[in-house]
Amino acid sequence: MSVAGGLIARNRSRFDGFPEPLLESYEASLRALEPRLTPTQLESWSQGGLDLMAISLRSWESAAEYFKAGPQLAEATPWDTYEQLAREAGDLTEQSAPLAVSFLRSAPDTLSHIGPNHLAQWADFGRRLYKGNWKSSSLAAQFYDAGPELFSTIRVSHAGRLVLFLDELARHSYELAAACLTSAPDVLGRLENTDRMPFLTFGVELAQTSWADSRLYFDRGVPLIQRVHGPVRERYLTLAAQVARDHSRSVFQYFEDAAHALGEVEPDDHGPVIELAEQLAPHSAYAAMDFISNAPEVLEKVRIDELAAWQNHGLGILASSKEGGEAYFRLQSSRGEEVLDTLSARVELSKVGDVLRLYAKALTGTNISIHASAVLTEKGIGWVDEERASTDGTTIYLPEVMELYRGKEENFAAVKVFTTHQAARLEFGSFSFSFDRPATLFEDLRPTIPEAPDANPTTEIERFFDLFPDRTLASDIHKIAEGARIDAAIKRHYAGIRRALTRMQREELGRRPELSELPLRQAFVENLLRVSLDGLDAVRWPAAQRDTVSNGAAVLQQLMAENASIEDTAEATLRLYQLAMSIKNEREEGDEEWDSLPDMDQEQLQLDMSDLGGEGAAMEMGEPQEGDVEYESPQDIDFRGDFKPELVQLLMKLRDDAELGDAGQISPEQLTEEQLQELLEKSAEIDLDTLLEGDLQNTTGMFLSNLLKEAGTPTLDSDAQSDQPLSDLSTGAEEGEEPLAPIVTTYYYDEWDFRAQDYKPRWCAVKEADLEEGEDDFYEDTLKEYAALVAQTRKQFELMKPELFRKIKKLSDGEDIELDPAIEWMIDIRTGVSPSDKVYWRRNKVDRDVAIAFLLDMSASTDEEIARRDQQYDDSDDDPRKYLSWWVTKRRQELAAPPKRIIDLEKEATVLLITALETIGDDYGIYGFSGYGRDNVEFYVLKDFDEQFGETTKKRIDKVTPIRSTRMGPAIRHAIHKLSETEAKVRILVLLSDGRPQDHGYGRDRTEKEYAIHDTKQALNEAKREGITPFALTVDRAGHDYLKTMCEDMGYEVVGDIESLPRRLPALYRSLTE
Amino acid sequence: MAPGGLVLAAEEFTVREEPYYLPLGDEIELFEAAFEQRIPVLLKGPTGCGKTRFVEYMSWRLGRPVTHISQGGEAPLDDEGPRPFVTVACHEDLTASDLVGRYLLDTDGTRWIDGPLTRAVKTGAICYLDEVVEARKDTTVLIHPLTDYRRLLPIEKLGQVVEAADGFLLVISYNPGYQSALKDLKHSTRQRFISVEFTYPTREQEAEIISHESGVDLAVSVELAKLGEKVRNLKEHGLSEGVSTRLLIYAGRLIERGIEPRRAAQVGVTWALTDDLEVQRSIEEVVTSIFE
Repeated sequence: MSVAGGLIARNRSRFDGFPEPLLESYEASLRALEPRLTPTQLESWSQGGLDLMAISLRSWESAAEYFKAGPQLAEATPWDTYEQLAREAGDLTEQSAPLAVSFLRSAPDTLSHIGPNHLAQWADFGRRLYKGNWKSSSLAAQFYDAGPELFSTIRVSHAGRLVLFLDELARHSYELAAACLTSAPDVLGRLENTDRMPFLTFGVELAQTSWADSRLYFDRGVPLIQRVHGPVRERYLTLAAQVARDHSRSVFQYFEDAAHALGEVEPDDHGPVIELAEQLAPHSAYAAMDFISNAPEVLEKVRIDELAAWQNHGLGILASSKEGGEAYFRLQSSRGEEVLDTLSARVELSKVGDVLRLYAKALTGTNISIHASAVLTEKGIGWVDEERASTDGTTIYLPEVMELYRGKEENFAAVKVFTTHQAARLEFGSFSFSFDRPATLFEDLRPTIPEAPDANPTTEIERFFDLFPDRTLASDIHKIAEGARIDAAIKRHYAGIRRALTRMQREELGRRPELSELPLRQAFVENLLRVSLDGLDAVRWPAAQRDTVSNGAAVLQQLMAENASIEDTAEATLRLYQLAMSIKNEREEGDEEWDSLPDMDQEQLQLDMSDLGGEGAAMEMGEPQEGDVEYESPQDIDFRGDFKPELVQLLMKLRDDAELGDAGQISPEQLTEEQLQELLEKSAEIDLDTLLEGDLQNTTGMFLSNLLKEAGTPTLDSDAQSDQPLSDLSTGAEEGEEPLAPIVTTYYYDEWDFRAQDYKPRWCAVKEADLEEGEDDFYEDTLKEYAALVAQTRKQFELMKPELFRKIKKLSDGEDIELDPAIEWMIDIRTGVSPSDKVYWRRNKVDRDVAIAFLLDMSASTDEEIARRDQQYDDSDDDPRKYLSWWVTKRRQELAAPPKRIIDLEKEATVLLITALETIGDDYGIYGFSGYGRDNVEFYVLKDFDEQFGETTKKRIDKVTPIRSTRMGPAIRHAIHKLSETEAKVRILVLLSDGRPQDHGYGRDRTEKEYAIHDTKQALNEAKREGITPFALTVDRAGHDYLKTMCEDMGYEVVGDIESLPRRLPALYRSLTE
Repeated sequence: MAPGGLVLAAEEFTVREEPYYLPLGDEIELFEAAFEQRIPVLLKGPTGCGKTRFVEYMSWRLGRPVTHISQGGEAPLDDEGPRPFVTVACHEDLTASDLVGRYLLDTDGTRWIDGPLTRAVKTGAICYLDEVVEARKDTTVLIHPLTDYRRLLPIEKLGQVVEAADGFLLVISYNPGYQSALKDLKHSTRQRFISVEFTYPTREQEAEIISHESGVDLAVSVELAKLGEKVRNLKEHGLSEGVSTRLLIYAGRLIERGIEPRRAAQVGVTWALTDDLEVQRSIEEVVTSIFE
């Protein structure tokens, strides 16, 4: 009998009472293992199973798995492993039979992945997850079950970290842990091997600090981490883990944002960025992550090698003030922006636009606006390139950003060259071409060329281009010739810019295409372009074409001389066109050498010129010839930008017509749509295909309406000023049906962050609009109700009205001698004392020059009633009848006069103030403010400074109601802006409020007051810096404390009830204005 | 130039040497005609465009012995010698008594002293009130009787009326540009004067002036004049006044003394004109475009 048979026979009785299959699998197991194991080993194996059965009531289940597992182990499995398996199984079974079942079930497969040596470790992992309860048991079981799948992707060491992670999660949520475990093989499988460990390490940190994010991390982490450049992923995760360790808030958010950001940065730059972030991490992990998150934005402005300088500056701030540094790297600090601007080599149009506008205005003497080229292309009137400079005759369009060079100054010089070229077109008349005006330098050939009899050109330049059969070629040559003329004029007139212009010309020459690869006519045009760039030395030509090219060069040179006019450009174009047409547009097949031009002296050029002039009488405009390669325009020159004289002349004409139309006159030759259409179709300046999509009819129609719209609304000078308010709502009055929507104008203001000790740039949007009009009842009623007070106030203020002239005495020089000092003088002389020479008097005119702005708090908190002192019931007496009678009186009072709210007091005070100010005649404005959030600070105008007091103002007062929050800072800043626009000598800002600044995001949370108070105080300080006297008038007794902080050294006053106002006002006003 | 250290009474000052003046139009003939007819003259124009220089020049020109060819032959018409020339720069606090005169205290009582206007009236000088709108309104009381057929100066405090000597002529200047509407000249006043308008000279003329006054060669002065022209384009758009010829001359003088042109234009034009940083920057760009 075999050993197995013996064992089976011997132990059969022990299976009594267990399910039949158990014995069957026991038998199968022994028989299967018999060939692999020695008898002793087999017996030991059998014993292991029998022991399992005996452990507990349900341990036979694990024994069943044990018997199944044995034969499934790999053939080569050493005996040690069997023994170990038995030991671990026994151990696990003692803890939990189902756990052991899972373990044993997946053991054979798992072992095939991890090898026998890691069996114990694997078992330990599971045990670690098992905490003796049902949920942990099922998690641990799940872990064992997942073994084969898990270990087919990851290593045992990774599993250890995973278990740590799961264990950590399980402390909070078993479900979460289970879910993560389920997805683990897939998630980890998608990661590269080297990334798994750091990924899990961060996971552990995350689980420890903000475990709820773990699910997100597992779901979304992998693609995120893959955005980070491979070699630095681990460092990135370590960094992210540091955030987790230092802070427990929004860890995943930081991780996600920064990873996204890195995805936008060049992979090669990830290393430096992360290294810089690592330097920040010891100070603030938030700052480090914000630094990464904002890296793409910062890198738009500075190069990667300049990033360190920016980081270093912030590091300095961070070291001294954590909040300040964090704000810096959050890009929420003005200092951060300044540093960035200083470091950044690029020049942004938005920053230099105003300077350039004045510069262009100075050069041209006309009102020029400066806009980004994109603005022009959006108009859909023929310009299509957003990157190129151009002009439409009233505005110069420039690329939004200039970053050609590595230095800011060089970039600015480049922008200046761009601008100067466009301005010079206006200054030197590129668009004022007149067909019949004679040229100054060339003999006029224009009249000699026959024009089409039925032609009816709209513009002068169109008439000129009509002369040419090949309009594109003519247009290209004209553009080159005009470029040459303008560049030369700039160099002659503006010596200071010569160097920068020459440099750009040389650079353009360096970028030109290889000549010998071009068909001949194109090569000729290309050579002309080089000459126009002052690049005679860059001209190359086949010997056969020598005369043509040198003649062409001579014509251009002539154009560069002094006094050349736009008509000369036209004449030159005619000659050059003829030269170009004399060359076939075919590739040079022979192996002829391409030569450079020999040095030509002026004399020689003149000589060639006369040759050309001779042909003049018989000007022939060549037709395109057979066998020509299709002509292509030369590559454009950046600093010259787009040149579209036809369009500009058309626009100017349309504008003139529009103006005449406005003036009630009809232009003698109003353009017809057909004319326009014809022009558009033939002009070489407009590429209708790229301009708009859709069928031609539609396109031209659209184009026309765009053009007409553009011409009908001439660009106003004010458009160009970036500090002008942007109107974001226009009056919807086009139909004439709808009621007028209020015009809302948005202004942007910085906000003071006292923690960072810096401004948050352009943080708040203040939206200014006129307040709705209600009835004038409130105003009139208040006047009636407080008739006595009003009279009193008026009288008080009338007393304040200054005398126009005041006699000033004791002056050393004046209108006349004053008697008293004169007598003293005489006495002094007689007594031998040195007399005072201040014996004159003079009348001095006293100008009252006061502007005062009232700022009404319209926040919801002004809805509160003002507690009256006498309404407090004195509790000392217990007599209920007394209380009742007090209550009845109170009720009666309330019914007679409803309890007064803060806002009512504010309104009444306003009415009184108006009365007073109208008496004294000072300039004043009344504004209300409220709003919600930093992007929506509402600023209502009741009466603007330049507005007359009248019915509208009265009606608006009626509409003053509590609305929303109180973000005082921006409202004050806007009032300051209003005040600084007045020219008064004495400027006062009076804030009428309940003294409680409060808004969403105005501080860490709604209850935090510090931030709001500091910002408000800072705003009041700004007012003082502007020479404005701020004064806070509060109607809230409880507000006392806040106001005290806000107005440390400024005036403030608490007004309990309106009755005290008239008494206080004049004194107050006098002290403020004098 | 007059020798230094010479102390003169106000009415004794005369323009002895011919001041440089480049006529821009017919202003010389106009002034001469007005003088002959004793019609008061109002000079209008931006600051630094040569108004004062013009009056000075005319004072010299009218003061030199003029020979008049009459029907009977040559006869000296005017042999009074150099013509006295009194200039008063008006300011906000200039009162009538500043012009007429006042009592001074003396050891024994008071002594009357004539003001500049009184002196000019008595000696028959050309009296030039620069920037007259700046002065107080009470000065008009004096100007009115002096500028019509009466040619009288009332001296209230003395209870006297002084009749103007024959050569007396009142010339006032006025810059309509920068004064606020409040300080506009009243019609009752302005309609007592013929009005000569001054504008900036053309580029060529200005170059000539700059070159003459500063000594720089014409090439540089052309550039300076060009700068002037460009900067004047900014008037009303950031600048309340264009750059004056005077400033351009100063810049020219600095250049003549060896100061680098860009620097000279910076201190002489850019910074002199405005404190607005943006406008400064814009002018700076014009300067760096024009000068190398």
